[in-house]
Amino acid sequence: MLEQLLDSVAQQNAFRCVHPGTKLFLGLGSLLICLVAPSPLVPLVSGIVLSLVLIGPAHIPPVTYGKVLLGPAVFTVISVVILLFLVGGGEVVWQFSPFAGFSLTITEGAVREGVLVLCRVFGCSVSLFFIVLTTPLTDLFNGMKRVRVPVELIDLMMITYRYIFIAYDLAGEIWRAQVMRLGYRRPVEAVRSFSMLSGMLFISSWNAGEDLVRAMDSRCYNGVFPSLEQAEPVSLRSVIPAVLFLAFLIGLCGVVLMAPDGVMTVI
Amino acid sequence: MSIILEARDVRYRYPGGPEIIRGISFHIRKGEKIALVGPNGAGKSTLLQMFNGMVRPDSGTMLFDNRPLQYDRASLRMIRQRVGYVLQNADRQIIAPTVWQDVAFGPANLGYDGETVRNKVAEALRHVGLTGFDRRPPHHLSGGEKKRVAIAGVLAMDPDVLVFDEPTSDLDPAGSEDIMELLDELNHEGKTVVISTHDVELAYPWADRAILLLDGGILKEDRPEVTFGNPGLVRKAHLSVPAFLDLSLELSRRSYAQPDRKPRSVLDMVEIIENLLHGTGWNHTPGTITVCNVDEDDRSLSGYIASREHLAVGTMGTRAKQRAQKEGLVVDFTYGVIDKCILRALRGLDSLVLTTGSMTERVVSRVDAYGKESGNVIRVVPLAPAGKGPSIEDVDGE
Repeated sequence: MLEQLLDSVAQQNAFRCVHPGTKLFLGLGSLLICLVAPSPLVPLVSGIVLSLVLIGPAHIPPVTYGKVLLGPAVFTVISVVILLFLVGGGEVVWQFSPFAGFSLTITEGAVREGVLVLCRVFGCSVSLFFIVLTTPLTDLFNGMKRVRVPVELIDLMMITYRYIFIAYDLAGEIWRAQVMRLGYRRPVEAVRSFSMLSGMLFISSWNAGEDLVRAMDSRCYNGVFPSLEQAEPVSLRSVIPAVLFLAFLIGLCGVVLMAPDGVMTVI
Repeated sequence: MSIILEARDVRYRYPGGPEIIRGISFHIRKGEKIALVGPNGAGKSTLLQMFNGMVRPDSGTMLFDNRPLQYDRASLRMIRQRVGYVLQNADRQIIAPTVWQDVAFGPANLGYDGETVRNKVAEALRHVGLTGFDRRPPHHLSGGEKKRVAIAGVLAMDPDVLVFDEPTSDLDPAGSEDIMELLDELNHEGKTVVISTHDVELAYPWADRAILLLDGGILKEDRPEVTFGNPGLVRKAHLSVPAFLDLSLELSRRSYAQPDRKPRSVLDMVEIIENLLHGTGWNHTPGTITVCNVDEDDRSLSGYIASREHLAVGTMGTRAKQRAQKEGLVVDFTYGVIDKCILRALRGLDSLVLTTGSMTERVVSRVDAYGKESGNVIRVVPLAPAGKGPSIEDVDGE
């Protein structure tokens, strides 16, 4: 359900009418800065500010946003915990040796690295989600055409995008029909039911493919897949805040680099 | 009227399967409304697909505009542009990720330039009442809206003939009525409309001619009251006799009604019953039908409606419906509007019809035709045009 939720959020948020170029500029810009920033402070600030923007002016429901963030959060926390024990350097902060010859150690360097990774993933994820949640895929196709992504590829992507939701609905229908008849009660049945679902999905996708060719033929398909023209112009009202925000992040990077070593270790 | 589509003894069998079309011949004239009726598996869809060259008959000839269909690329493009085909499943017909792109698909592939494509798409979307839906992805639309997108995609190619495979099969009753109304509107603009259906109640009042198909052959081809009026044939085709026809058969068996007058609508039925009860002629003065063309008249109508107590409002056509919705008007009828207004007028009540463009004349001609047939004179008046009347409140339908 989350996939469909993401798509409808992207279609309905308050930033829907901002030119996709502006949103891409902001999202990709902050993603890049978060990646190269020398201190965890920069991605942390970027992530928090963009999150507030998403929940506030963009009117993304906070619960939806929380659910979306939860996915990478679980993954990141597990990775960071492992990282804490893997990386060395600096003073030992915590040590645990259950028996001789084996010990788990967390060092200062590991903590610093862990915090940096955590903040970086947070900042980068939020930057990406900013694009995902405010810009529908349909708007991106046009941009792709403009940056010379091969047309064949875009056409394929458009058709895929169109049919994903149909296949998804169909899979849901078959799955419900199976669950109603207790298809997933035992592991053996689950395997059998799932293989049946996959088979049915394949056959119906095949049929849908043949219908697609027929539908295209009956409308004189001649190799042209029209692209949606951009309705809204690039507006300064959205570009200026985006530029200011990115400039602020770069400035923050500069401040962190310039700062004396004492301050550096704190942040 | 000249013949636009013709089949001469066409036969077809799916590879490895039984013969599904077994020697069918018929013709369709320009501007006709044809219903192809039959049970599932009768070969309706296959036959329809022959109209635009999607299926090539094994033997026999299909003719368009009195010329046999050619199956080379260029000829197929021509025929597919002139015969628009709307699939049963709108989800299978809509191929693009947004409404605009889907409707633009046909015109863009016909090689029109950007400006023309934009105009064609805007016009088609306006026609089906989906203006402003340009950037919506199809999976965010309702069933009726998807159907409209599919129809707009075909309309944008400006075909002469529109072929619909089961146009109302996935729609709720109100949605079906809307689509049938749209088909009427298109037909009134000069398009030949062919539908396949197994819904006899839908086909009976709508079609000019009904073709009854069974097992790949034509069982009966005639005016709907004749095609559906033979209970034996209808039963043989796994269909049912339309309720009005059934009722009138039953009445005539009791010698209550003339067997030659077959009712096709509530209006016809009411007249038969009224004649039975009172003889011809009506006792009171009939009401007036006021027509407002929403394309030309953009004055607020709520005041006009509020000032008249027993006024009923009907909308014909998508734009009229949108207008009523925009103004928040309470609409009493959206389907079979003219008949319902005549019925009201006969009870001495007034009605206001919101409609568009060419449909205005249709109201007049339909009411006139009824007047000539029945002898009841009902006045149809336009809502006084803007600027001429002092104000809309003072206009009294003159």
